[in-house]
Amino acid sequence: MLSIRNLSKNYGDVQALREVSLEVPPGMFGLLGPNGAGKSSLMRTIATLQDPDSGTITFDGIDVATDKDRIRRTLGYLPQDFGVYPKVSAQDMLDHFAVLKGYVQRKQRAEAVEALLHQVNLWDVRKRKLGTFSGGMRQRFGIAQALLGNPRLVIVDEPTAGLDPEERNRFLNLLAGIGEQVIVILSTHIVEDVADLCPRMAIISRGQVLMSGEPREAIGTLRDRVWSKLVSKAALIEYQQRFTVLSTRLIGGQPLIHVYSDARPEAGFEPVAAGLEDVYFRQLRAHGGGAAHT
Amino acid sequence: MLREFLRFELRYQLRSPVAWLIALLFGLLAFGGMVSDEIQIGGAIGNINRNAPFVILNYLAIFSVLGLLAAILLVAWPLLRDADLRTDELFFSTPVRKGSYLWGRALGGAIATLGVYAVVALFMIVGSLWPSQDPNRIGPFMAGPYLWAFGVLVVPNLIFVGAFLCLLAVTTRRLLVVFLGAMGLLVAFLLAGSLTSDLQYDTIARLIDPFGGRAVGRVMRYWSATERNTLLPDLSGLLLLNRAIWLGVSAAMLAAAHILFRTYRSGGRRKRAASTTPAVAAPPAQIAAPAAIVARTFNSTTGLRQFVHQLRFDAVSVLKSLPFLILLGFGLINLLTSARVSNRLFGTEVHPVTALMLEAMRGSYQFLLALIVAYYAGEVIWRERDARIAEATDAAPVPSWVPLLAKTGALFAVVLAFLFIGSAASIVHQLWMGHTYLEIGLYLRAMLLDAVPFMLTAVAAVFLQVLSNQKFIGYALFIVVFLLQVVLQSLHFEHNLYTFAGSPTLTYSDMNGFGHLLQPWAWFNAYWSVFAAMLLVIAAAFWIRGVAPTRRGRWGHALRSLRGPQGALLGALTVAFIAIGIWIFYNTNVLNDYLASDVVLDRQAHYEKAYRKYKNAPQPHITDVYADVDIYPAERRVEIRGRYQLMNKTAAPIRDLHVTLLPGSELRVTSIGSAKLLSDDREAGFRVYRLDQPLQPGGTMELRFEVLRAERGFTNTGMPPSSGGGDVRSPLNYNGTFFNSQSMFPHLGYNEGGQILDRNERRKRGLGDVPRAAKLEDESARGSMGFPDADWINFETVVSTSADQTALAPGYLQKEWTKDGRHYFHYKMDRPMLPFFCYLSARYQVKRGEWHGMPIEVYYDPKHPYNIDRMIEATRKSLDYYTANFSPYQHHQVRILEFPRYARFAQSFANTIPFSESIGFVADIGDPGDIDYVFYVTAHEVAHQWWAHQVIGADVQGSSMITESLSQYSALMVMEKQYGREQMRRFLKYELDRYLADRGGELIEELPLMRVENQDYIHYRKGSLVFYRLREEIGEENLNRALAAFIRDKAFQQPPYTTTIEMLDYTRAQTPPEKQKLIEELFAKIVLYDTKVTAATAKPRADGKFDVSIEYEAQKVEADGVGREKPLAVDDWMEVGVFARQQGEGEHTERALYLKPQHITQNKGKVEVVVDAAPFEVGVDPYNKLIDRNPDDNRKRVQ
Repeated sequence: MLSIRNLSKNYGDVQALREVSLEVPPGMFGLLGPNGAGKSSLMRTIATLQDPDSGTITFDGIDVATDKDRIRRTLGYLPQDFGVYPKVSAQDMLDHFAVLKGYVQRKQRAEAVEALLHQVNLWDVRKRKLGTFSGGMRQRFGIAQALLGNPRLVIVDEPTAGLDPEERNRFLNLLAGIGEQVIVILSTHIVEDVADLCPRMAIISRGQVLMSGEPREAIGTLRDRVWSKLVSKAALIEYQQRFTVLSTRLIGGQPLIHVYSDARPEAGFEPVAAGLEDVYFRQLRAHGGGAAHT
Repeated sequence: MLREFLRFELRYQLRSPVAWLIALLFGLLAFGGMVSDEIQIGGAIGNINRNAPFVILNYLAIFSVLGLLAAILLVAWPLLRDADLRTDELFFSTPVRKGSYLWGRALGGAIATLGVYAVVALFMIVGSLWPSQDPNRIGPFMAGPYLWAFGVLVVPNLIFVGAFLCLLAVTTRRLLVVFLGAMGLLVAFLLAGSLTSDLQYDTIARLIDPFGGRAVGRVMRYWSATERNTLLPDLSGLLLLNRAIWLGVSAAMLAAAHILFRTYRSGGRRKRAASTTPAVAAPPAQIAAPAAIVARTFNSTTGLRQFVHQLRFDAVSVLKSLPFLILLGFGLINLLTSARVSNRLFGTEVHPVTALMLEAMRGSYQFLLALIVAYYAGEVIWRERDARIAEATDAAPVPSWVPLLAKTGALFAVVLAFLFIGSAASIVHQLWMGHTYLEIGLYLRAMLLDAVPFMLTAVAAVFLQVLSNQKFIGYALFIVVFLLQVVLQSLHFEHNLYTFAGSPTLTYSDMNGFGHLLQPWAWFNAYWSVFAAMLLVIAAAFWIRGVAPTRRGRWGHALRSLRGPQGALLGALTVAFIAIGIWIFYNTNVLNDYLASDVVLDRQAHYEKAYRKYKNAPQPHITDVYADVDIYPAERRVEIRGRYQLMNKTAAPIRDLHVTLLPGSELRVTSIGSAKLLSDDREAGFRVYRLDQPLQPGGTMELRFEVLRAERGFTNTGMPPSSGGGDVRSPLNYNGTFFNSQSMFPHLGYNEGGQILDRNERRKRGLGDVPRAAKLEDESARGSMGFPDADWINFETVVSTSADQTALAPGYLQKEWTKDGRHYFHYKMDRPMLPFFCYLSARYQVKRGEWHGMPIEVYYDPKHPYNIDRMIEATRKSLDYYTANFSPYQHHQVRILEFPRYARFAQSFANTIPFSESIGFVADIGDPGDIDYVFYVTAHEVAHQWWAHQVIGADVQGSSMITESLSQYSALMVMEKQYGREQMRRFLKYELDRYLADRGGELIEELPLMRVENQDYIHYRKGSLVFYRLREEIGEENLNRALAAFIRDKAFQQPPYTTTIEMLDYTRAQTPPEKQKLIEELFAKIVLYDTKVTAATAKPRADGKFDVSIEYEAQKVEADGVGREKPLAVDDWMEVGVFARQQGEGEHTERALYLKPQHITQNKGKVEVVVDAAPFEVGVDPYNKLIDRNPDDNRKRVQ
């Protein structure tokens, strides 16, 4: 169990985290939020890369701020925008990470590296230089690196950004394969990632946790309250002023809007089954953030 | 569109600080050079004004080479900037012509660079007008030199450099390649310079310098001070050709850059790489099973093992990288070239002994490796961050000290790799040169020792990188620290206690090994290593793991982390640092005097101010010397117990004795009759004793003394402090002790040898004009022969040393014995000799030869057997010639003794010739054409047994002509007999070059030969030329007859001593009347010629012979002491020659078809001769027997 209590962090005048409190049980945990919400700050703080101004994080009783070494031994971290040494082969690079992760015995290291290369399906290309890898392969390499040393706390920061759908799928499957007793925190701004994968989640914006809980439960709170309508482009602004427009999407060039309302807002609106996306935008709207376009 | 790019680029550059910073840096350097004597790069010495055209051209030439680095940032970077910022596709997708883009950017950068030079020039002008300037050293302001320099050097060089860098930038699109290319160009430039530094490559050296500085330098090389102050070079001849060639090359490179510039992305390489590796088939999307759990262990060794791995990982990545290999290649090329070139003398190479290879390695790596280490510090420290994996590695369970130390260790590996490969290359070079005496152990030792300062540099670079937390700021800080050290040095802050990584130069002598230098070296390096460890502890505290906190947070964090064990470690290190520092200070400043070079000058000034008034105070003369000298080589200690017999040779009673001894040794006067010590200035080494009973004219007395000298502890330089009085650099050594009576024996009266000669240093200390030698006509000065307190003396000594060494002094060995584990030698000279003697002690090998039954002995180090026979042969040939032509040899033995290379000279004492390890002993006279300077130096020193040890001049102007010029003449004659006229001609070419080049650097006044005031370039170089010409004009027999008569009458004379006036009287007596005027010109004037063949034609005749017509020009001028010239009428006998060569062959097949002196009286004329065969070349003064300002145009190919 990872407990985050009253975590705050400022960068000069910018409040990156404000009194963030979360309880994260084992299993996949989705951290959803727009760009700049403070997700990465939170992730880095959990990953011992940054000290909070106030608040605590404990993992199975270990205080992250004061006992970084113990946390690091049980941590797997895939940072956002993860790079590689282009001229080093996947195997050599993973071998290097394995040493850093504490595999200092040659034999164990070789075993661990081999097992992970198989797991992420890079075994066949292990001799290739990382510079020749595609974005998806790099991310898989990144998760292999994070999984070295059987971490009980895995943090992946925006891992699917920029991946094509097939690679994204493959990557999420990899995450899904991580054992159930492991906490996996997946930070993302892509709602589907969380919807597909995470039994629990939190939405964070402007450094604050807007909600946390199970996606299904959250979706349940919107039942019968989301309405959609195809509108003309010219009328779009008027609708946005009159209703709580959750999202606008173009269907065949014409805007389809989702509106939050306890009752049918007006004629022409049809009820739709709420999705996690509606939850997400509902939360952002309720706290005055985000644009109506996605 | 071009204009738009140009305008944008200029605005961009003006707003960025880079151009301004470079301009400021260069400008301050130029300003500093203009206003101070400490930064000397322009050559403003002696009579040359600080703002002389010569100086301005030198400065701007140097800056235009340095500008290469500025141009990387200002010209090449703009072309790469868009690719770096990923804005290139924005530009190239617009309808822009590629030329507009390319040349707009490049031109903007070039204009910015030119602006930098304008600032430099401005700072120079401001510097020359600065109020602190000494008006004596500033000429009137002239704009001409600046314009000339910009037109001929700065702008063409900028075009060249810009074109070169643009070409690299557009073809490779990588800043690193541009940088390496620039480094390569610099190395090639330096290499070309050292490869062509020898006179024989003069023409090629002038042409291949792309910056033209050397071509300009060679034009001005022979200029006098006046010319340097007023003239600008003619833009003609080789200089013009050079400029034309390199502008042509620049144009070609610009065209190539234009053609090769592509606006679309160069995907070529990536595409190739992709096509060679098949695309990986996308595996099916399935949920992967977790990998089996593999156990890890964390224990006390985990961190250590991680460290070893990280170190290897980073080291390998650097060592295998292409840039590193290229830089290594630069280093090796530099090393091997300087190994070949640096110890050349007269174009002759040396045996590549390990000591010289080590010196070459140190010299060629010094800056290069320091910069490489600094560069890789930035690369390695930020490697993870640059590759964007830092967050992953920072979150790994690795102790924080691991990356810091591992990366520092990787830099150490770089240093060791450089030195190891350098050593290996040196060994290969030695074998290649046929030198099979390999000293692998010495290489290994030297490698480990030499690595330390570079490792310290690495730590400093790491520290600055970590502290600044930004690569380029780290680099900038490093450069600032580096420059600061240079500036401190030049301001006489020389102590290694505050010069980072400072330690004595670890000279390796084959005789003395690292000797006494090793101990101070080790202490200073221990001191700085502890400091480096402190830097690492602090760096560890500031090491950022994860996200960089704010500055205040960072300091707070660092201070907190220094409270724990790290703090304790830092404290312990600080204590060790201070303790070692105190120990060093105790050694360098308490046991020894630490004297910065300006303090030495101050003391010299004090000596002169306080005691010069006694210069003419009458003092008794030493007539007999007896000394017991005990040398303790292992302790570097000597005890002298001596006895002088003194006599009052003046006409008046003497009351006060002025007893002097150069500082550095302790003097105890044990018996001086009944006298009272009036004053005792220990620092200056000047005492005044008052005799109770004045010493009457003709009266004698005895002076007994002890001199104790022990090198206690160590000094800042590792060498004993210099007294400024011209003492031998390191007299007391474990193996190779060498000192002379000037420095280690007491003397009577004021010693002029310790005076400051630099006019500007004198002026700063209020000393007035440089004290000059007494005028030639000053009869009152003829009482002294230059040793003011003695005439010819009787000499006897008993010298002892350790059991394994041989000790030597002038005189003949009377007895040799061993007592109490010490080796004793008793030497006695059987006749009066010069009051100048020496002591040497070392483990010698002895080679004995003989000359008509008389022993010739060479005492040398067993490692240096190469030229011993040559020295003996030269001695025999010299004795043959001198005894046949001058007079008998007064001694019955000649000994040549090797001493360590801390000093580089040979010197002649009575029957005893010390000869430095670094000249001659390792010369490699392999090729028959090489100038055998071992033979020459030996013959010169043996000649001193006549010139000085038989005839010595009075201490007036011209005295050194009698000792040195006549020794040069004597040696030349012996050499000519041995090697022929052809080698003489080449030897004299070097002498001519040195004379003409050095007269421009004269500090005071150039004098005619017969009035020379101990000026090297006159009494050696011009002396050779003048006497050789005189020999040609009046004949060897006549000249030798004159010299023989001179010796016959003047040898071993008592005062008044002879002068050059008398010597020339003997010469005139043997000179035909028509040559009398020539003697005047050669000896009493400074006369320079410039002859030139302007046209040469040949026509075959019916009888198979050839009509040859030679048109020539001949100028002759007389110069005064600062080089102001007035024309003289030409009225000389000059050789005119016509030469043939074998078809297609070189100069060695040359044959004179015609060679006769012709009486030349016109400035322009024509000579017609008939020769028997087809001529190849003609010449007027073809062998350069005249002192010719342009010796290379005296010959011309026949048309």
